[in-house]
Amino acid sequence: HDRHSIRRKPRFQNMVQFHEHIITELLEDSNGGLVVTSSGLGLHKLISSLFLLHHQSQGCLLVLSATPPQKSSILRNYENDIQSQFSGEVPNLPSEITSDLTANQRLSLYTSGGIFFITTRILIVDLLTHRLPTTAVAGLVILNAHSLSDTSTEAFIVRILRSTNRSLYVRAFSDRPHSMVSGFAKAERTLKCLFVRKLHLWPRFQVYVSQDLERDPPEVVDIRVPMSTYMIGIQKAVIEVMDACLKEMRKTNKVDVEDLTVENGLFKSFDEIVKRQLDPIWHTLGKRTKQLVSDLKTLRKLLDYLVRYDAVTYLKYLDSLRASESFRSVWIFAESSYKIFEYAKKRVYHFGRTDSGKLGLSKTVSTKKRKLNDNKKDEVAQQCRAVKHDVVPLVFVCLKDQSTSTETRVVLEEVLEEPPKWKVLLDVLMEIQEERDKHALSGEEKYYLGDGDDNGIVLVACKDEYSCMQLEDCITNGSQKVMREEWEKYLLSKVQLQALPKRNAKKAKEPKGFGVLDGVVASAPGKKAEVSSISKQEHDALLAAASEVSKRINKDIVGKDDNQKHVDGGGSVKGKGKGKKKKGSAGEKANNDVAPEDDAMEGGCLNEVFLRKHNQALDAESSREMKKLPPVVFYALESDKKILDILKPSTIIAYHPDIAFVREVEMYKAENPSRKAKVYFLFYEDSTEVQKFEASVRRENGAFESLIRQKSLMMIPVDQDGRCLGLDSSNEPQSVVPQNLITRKAGGRREAEKEMQVIVDMREFMSTLPNVLHQKGMRIIPVTLEVGDYILSPLICVERKSISDLFGSFASGRLYHQVEMMSRYYRIPVLLIEFSQDKSFSFQSASEIGDDVTPNNIISKLSLLVLHFPRLCIIWSRSLHATAEIFASLKSNQDEPDEVKAIRVGVPSEEGVVENDVSLIIFVLTPLFRRAENYNTSAVEMLRRLPGVTDSNYRGIMDGCKSLAELAMLPMERLAELMGGQMAAKMLREFLDAKYPTLL
Amino acid sequence: STPSSSANRNAILVSNRQKGNPLLKHISNVKWTFADIVCDYLLGPNTCALYLRLVTKLDLVDDFVKIYICLRYHLLHPDYLYFRIRELQKNFRLRIILCHVDVAVPGNHRKLLNFFSLEECGRYLETVKVYENKPADLIQGQMDGDYLSRLNHALTAIRHVNKTDVVTLGSTFGSLSHVMDASMEDLARCPGIGERKVKRLYDAFHEPFKREV
Repeated sequence: HDRHSIRRKPRFQNMVQFHEHIITELLEDSNGGLVVTSSGLGLHKLISSLFLLHHQSQGCLLVLSATPPQKSSILRNYENDIQSQFSGEVPNLPSEITSDLTANQRLSLYTSGGIFFITTRILIVDLLTHRLPTTAVAGLVILNAHSLSDTSTEAFIVRILRSTNRSLYVRAFSDRPHSMVSGFAKAERTLKCLFVRKLHLWPRFQVYVSQDLERDPPEVVDIRVPMSTYMIGIQKAVIEVMDACLKEMRKTNKVDVEDLTVENGLFKSFDEIVKRQLDPIWHTLGKRTKQLVSDLKTLRKLLDYLVRYDAVTYLKYLDSLRASESFRSVWIFAESSYKIFEYAKKRVYHFGRTDSGKLGLSKTVSTKKRKLNDNKKDEVAQQCRAVKHDVVPLVFVCLKDQSTSTETRVVLEEVLEEPPKWKVLLDVLMEIQEERDKHALSGEEKYYLGDGDDNGIVLVACKDEYSCMQLEDCITNGSQKVMREEWEKYLLSKVQLQALPKRNAKKAKEPKGFGVLDGVVASAPGKKAEVSSISKQEHDALLAAASEVSKRINKDIVGKDDNQKHVDGGGSVKGKGKGKKKKGSAGEKANNDVAPEDDAMEGGCLNEVFLRKHNQALDAESSREMKKLPPVVFYALESDKKILDILKPSTIIAYHPDIAFVREVEMYKAENPSRKAKVYFLFYEDSTEVQKFEASVRRENGAFESLIRQKSLMMIPVDQDGRCLGLDSSNEPQSVVPQNLITRKAGGRREAEKEMQVIVDMREFMSTLPNVLHQKGMRIIPVTLEVGDYILSPLICVERKSISDLFGSFASGRLYHQVEMMSRYYRIPVLLIEFSQDKSFSFQSASEIGDDVTPNNIISKLSLLVLHFPRLCIIWSRSLHATAEIFASLKSNQDEPDEVKAIRVGVPSEEGVVENDVSLIIFVLTPLFRRAENYNTSAVEMLRRLPGVTDSNYRGIMDGCKSLAELAMLPMERLAELMGGQMAAKMLREFLDAKYPTLL
Repeated sequence: STPSSSANRNAILVSNRQKGNPLLKHISNVKWTFADIVCDYLLGPNTCALYLRLVTKLDLVDDFVKIYICLRYHLLHPDYLYFRIRELQKNFRLRIILCHVDVAVPGNHRKLLNFFSLEECGRYLETVKVYENKPADLIQGQMDGDYLSRLNHALTAIRHVNKTDVVTLGSTFGSLSHVMDASMEDLARCPGIGERKVKRLYDAFHEPFKREV
């Protein structure tokens, strides 16, 4: 473990010992194996070390299923390793094989013997078209092995390669043990589908691992941050609702009760547990039960976001949730849900009514005094119960009550509770700096600088990018400013945003901006009828506050003149409250400088001065703070970049504790034993955050225990050479096709005429059906089809739809178009509706059919489709395997399909007239999806769903404009040009620019 | 019998052979009368349906071959369907086989419509009759829903984007064109939209429709 002993093995410099153990064990079996480790144990390093063992003469090494962050961390690590080994010249680095390369380029890469990252889709197509000679492959490295199944394309690839290449090794890796135990004998099945025998388990508690990691552990400081009263309230309420939902679920008697605990409910995998149990009977469930399943998901998010987001953002999320779910959700109507919304609101603002203005004013005075004495926000949070006295009022709105014609004063007080962790983070950072200063003074610089190349960086690890940005903002600009900005943004999102200067400042400069906003405020009460949860006055108050904020923003941009105008306009109506409003929004700091008496001295200029002053004060303060703080880097755990080795921080603050990150820190310390590393953990006390963290450790250990048990009982059939026979050997279904084995011996080309052939569209390789067809012994010919997904014979063309696809493509009209095309070119057009294996083989429960013929029912749509395309055959398939059987029977007395013809079908020829086209439709545009992988499919799909975009004009749009972002900018005239009509262009433009209705 | 034939035009004609079929109880939205016809159900001048009940006692009916065998053994005459279809000659443009699968573990069957409950069977017959002359607009994708459902439909074309995200995006950016033009950072500031979703959204908006080779 010390540097010298490692240097003796130059290959694995800087490597923890247990990694060496893993590699040694893995290399013992020449067939390869499956390695499952605890999360965060440096899989990327392990794999890059494996790369070092690869030599070109062995053939090429293909790496499958790596996520982009995994790819980049493996590559970075490999580069480091190799540079330290061969100083100077670097041998060929692993590169990526993408669809941009031509077939010939790909072939030359395959035969070069290098290391390549490749997508399964390209690889399978190259294997099936014999572009890749199987013997050129030395081995496969498969990441994320937990997502494999016997029908996945990876398994297909391994099967084809194994059939001809006996020396192939397959090394698969996973660092998610809990995903390896979901489902029946998953580990065993995964081994079989990869044709490997050895399962290597490396939990964190394994003796070598714990030895390595605990030899010289990092110094750990555990900080428990108390949550604010309201946070506790919300958490309690969410858990109550969750519990109620779970109880409700139990009542249905459809789910195994043991798994239904709140603790399980904290994890994403809970959804899987429930789904797996419910899928087979999904159609028999009532709407309510289905809703419960999705409600539990929502509630889990609410718990998670409570500790991740600030109060304002949280409220905003709740608002969105309410707007999108209110009609369906069960949970929203639960008793405790009311509390969630109420508390969340109280963390942000307080709304009240007073009869006289005096009361409000005096309260303000006292508040301000208090503020002067004691500016600590965390105490505000502590005393949330007494909210009224701890806040600075932002807006006083006078509303004339029409009916009684008495004046009631409505008060909207700003609370803006900061997340308690913010303050703690700042304290920790300052403490770190103080400590360093102390050491620097006493000349002990070496103490914290460690072995000299320490940069003193403090790494703050948060869950997501958003928290990173916010925290960074916090320590540079002060937390209050951040909260205020969030609040202003929140208010602004309440009114129409069109004219606001957020994204284009130009518009704001036009005086019109005011008009639009004022108009909104005036018209808004009309929409009120829909909202029951917020009182009318509260709503008006919020809108008034919002318009204040936007006015101020405009004012800041436009300058003094406008400011003056605005005061003239608004002052008379709203009276005294006005001044308060402005100062409030100018920032709390301003209040320190302004005596309450200033209320009387109303004036724009004055305000402007204070505003500036306040800004300067803030800047000064923030820069002062900056000096005190050590260099801080924020890192989002979600991004999955292995940042520790790059930054080499001396102090790490885990702002959102995560078990994988803890292991990474341990690894980092173990690899750099000479380096000092201090870790702070910030937990909310008694929160679900702690609960989740602890549960994740328990869960992982449980998963490993189960895996160890499974390993001892596993039955892996092997042949006489000790090779795994794979999944088929034990329970191979009787094949419909006697020539099944021919594909296994790729030499069987001679008998290829007898072999069943299916022409498959390239895009279908995202799905698993080609794999299953191949298992059934059919020859798969991958091509790019313009019409249909599978061509079974010169007559039969199949469009395959999963249930969700079916609904979607009915809605978009795509299915109609596809069926139309199939009917035009093939004698027997077939629509294959495929259910998934573990789901129920039915669309809807009897209760969902309803009493009447309704246009939106799937029955109606199918009937209509049948009426319009009488030749269309609809085939229902229960599962993938059933589909394969159906294909085989459909083909039984048909000729084999012609590849060349199939490709030409529907593709416009040079002259613009399609061959074989009965109705001689002339296509002038280039066809879509000639090479599917080169299209941004979600963008194309979204484009086609926009109003005004039709099957006939979307290609034109794609030719004339690069991306959706560009489309958003195109003027009407250009759109009309591209879309071939004013009408359609107008429709699209109006949709793009339509103002999103406000939430209130 | 002119009055009866005009009445019959709006009704489903049911073959006398179908007498006693519990399915008839479920045809309630459309009139029907018994008549002497070749097919089981006459749904229009060019449309007919044959009824086929598939009863199976096998629990493992999960693939085509087995269903096919069931079909053979459980129907009185193995060539029943073949003869029935031949009987229809070329008189109908649309020939529907109503295949009622009467088992807990359902199977599959080729050719047209396939049902799992009598209610469903009845509803298909009704719908085909009611929609006899209906244009295909409904399935041609000319959606004229309100703004929100259209926006939902458009944005959910991107994987993993849900309705709550649509509300968040809409209320944050104000209009679809602003959403499509949003920066990565602005997208990341939306509550509930994580790193991966941000990337997915950004790529969908900014990556070109067609990547040049």
